[in-house]
Amino acid sequence: MTGTKFYADVITGATLALVVMVVLGVTSLTARAAERAVSKATQQCLDCHSVKGLEKKLANGETLALHVDGAAFAKSAHNLLGCAVCHADATLENHPPVKKKIASVRENSLAMQKVCSSCHADQFKEHEGSIHAALLREGNPVAPVCTDCHNPHAAVPKASYDVASGAPCSKCHGSVFEAYAGSVHGQARKQGRVEAPVCSTCHSAHDVKAAAGGEKIKDNCHACHSGALPAHQNWLPNAALHLKTISCAACHAPGVKRRVDLRLYDSAAQKRIAEKEGVPQFEMRARAIDTEGKGLNAIALQSLLREFSRDGMEGKAILRGRLEVDSGVEAHQLADKAKAVGQCETCHRAGSDPFQRVTISIAGPDGRLVRYGAQQEVLSSATSIDSIGGFYVIGGTRIKLLDMLVALALLVGVGVPIVHLTLGWLSRRYAKKIGGREDS
Amino acid sequence: MPRIYVHPLPVRIWHWINALGFVTMIVTGFQIRYIGLIDVMSFRTAVVVHNWIGFVLIANFFVWLLFYLFTDKITVYHPDLNPTRQFRRSIRQMWYYGYGIFKGEPNPHHISVYQKFNAMQGMTYQVIMLLLVPLQFYTGVLLWDVERFSGMIDLLGGVRVVDTAHVLIFIFFVAFIFIHPYLASLGHTRSAHFKAMLTGYEELE
Repeated sequence: MTGTKFYADVITGATLALVVMVVLGVTSLTARAAERAVSKATQQCLDCHSVKGLEKKLANGETLALHVDGAAFAKSAHNLLGCAVCHADATLENHPPVKKKIASVRENSLAMQKVCSSCHADQFKEHEGSIHAALLREGNPVAPVCTDCHNPHAAVPKASYDVASGAPCSKCHGSVFEAYAGSVHGQARKQGRVEAPVCSTCHSAHDVKAAAGGEKIKDNCHACHSGALPAHQNWLPNAALHLKTISCAACHAPGVKRRVDLRLYDSAAQKRIAEKEGVPQFEMRARAIDTEGKGLNAIALQSLLREFSRDGMEGKAILRGRLEVDSGVEAHQLADKAKAVGQCETCHRAGSDPFQRVTISIAGPDGRLVRYGAQQEVLSSATSIDSIGGFYVIGGTRIKLLDMLVALALLVGVGVPIVHLTLGWLSRRYAKKIGGREDS
Repeated sequence: MPRIYVHPLPVRIWHWINALGFVTMIVTGFQIRYIGLIDVMSFRTAVVVHNWIGFVLIANFFVWLLFYLFTDKITVYHPDLNPTRQFRRSIRQMWYYGYGIFKGEPNPHHISVYQKFNAMQGMTYQVIMLLLVPLQFYTGVLLWDVERFSGMIDLLGGVRVVDTAHVLIFIFFVAFIFIHPYLASLGHTRSAHFKAMLTGYEELE
């Protein structure tokens, strides 16, 4: 009896398990099918547009690809919308739109941006304030629009982006991405450390600003490395000042070229002086003063500041210095902190490498810096007390005139006693001749 | 030889701490400014020592200030309110150091408890102690933490302006640190004034 009941229980259990498995399997398959399914209307479009090689010749001779990967679209976040939401102008009556004239692929992309903005208003607004949008407004033919970074027919959640390839940023910023890939951040990401930053972590995805222009990048460094200041304070005198006036990469990307960038500020407003849109004066003025074309010298730099001070700003034009790396590529060559520059002598020595290259800059209308070269002597000239009051590196940018005074002080300090002692010795020797006492 | 007590203990303590401190500040100052040309110690060590000794000297300055403010010895620093007399005495003192001393003429200044400095010395020390030293401490503190005092530094024209003032005063002290002990060696014996600054007693000629 017991044996019979046992076998009956086993059979019942196995049957139940089988039923559960079948039900789960069927449900899963149905769910996947539903996920991949496209609506009837979409399928109607795909009947033609999924044909590979479907394209349209444009007026300028370019070819506009009309092929849509049906499978990718089915998985796309836009699948739920269908085709008509974005392509509202394509109705059955007027399709294919033989009369629709598209001047170029670019013009088509620009027109479609407006469609994107109708749903993605927040991202669009962010993009409007970005360097990419500024370049677009300036008429830059390669400034990225929505479709340059996002494939609207295969739109995937940001978590699904293949960050290891640098897409989509690396399409335009290939050399920068290469530098990043070899950096401590890129390597960490390769090793699967998801907390390691990718492009958008530091530059954000839509509100991309000119990196050298502001403090945003540094703030982003500190967002992850929140202990950076106390860690530097442990060993670095004036740590807060170093962190403020030196770009992180200048020390953490060893072996790169560094330079001093002297930035124009309004002394009263404490704000960067910006080039007025449509009235580019900085480069024009700098060129006019730099008659020999060797870069601004100390006197020319003072003249330039005077000219900007006359522009009707609140205070006067002053310069604030910043030590930075020479290029965007070098800014991404960040190494492990063990390899970071930790020797004060790297900068605090006369003739140090970072002070051999000097630029003067102003904020351009698009947020990028407009730079003009200056001669290295502007950092060590006596006029720098007036023109570059806001930037000084002990040892590295010392004023030559003060060095001469130091030498003079030593000469006086040592020389006066020697001369006095000598006169005393001579006077004792010839005391009688000058009418003095021999024992004086 | 008769002696008078002209250097009370607090003054002597202040003086020798000041002397050692200023020598250290000048040595580390040279090291900070001329790394590569002078390599006595690392830049970082020089900066750290310079900062610490700087604060010791500031505290020590208050020893000097409080002693003279709260004792009648402050009269040694009282200026001569008669400018003609002050000028004449200073010229006489300079003449002595520049010429008379070689002829064996006596020092025109006679030390007393309330007038231990000659006219030239008193004037120089007033400028040093009431202007240059406080200014050097002030600029030094600003440079010690540029970020913390950025508002004040900007008001003064920027970090380079503050540093230039600091270096200019440093230049004065560089010359002073040689000339001061040399002048101190011009007593009735080479070591008379040094001994006085250790014992407190000046021997009267």
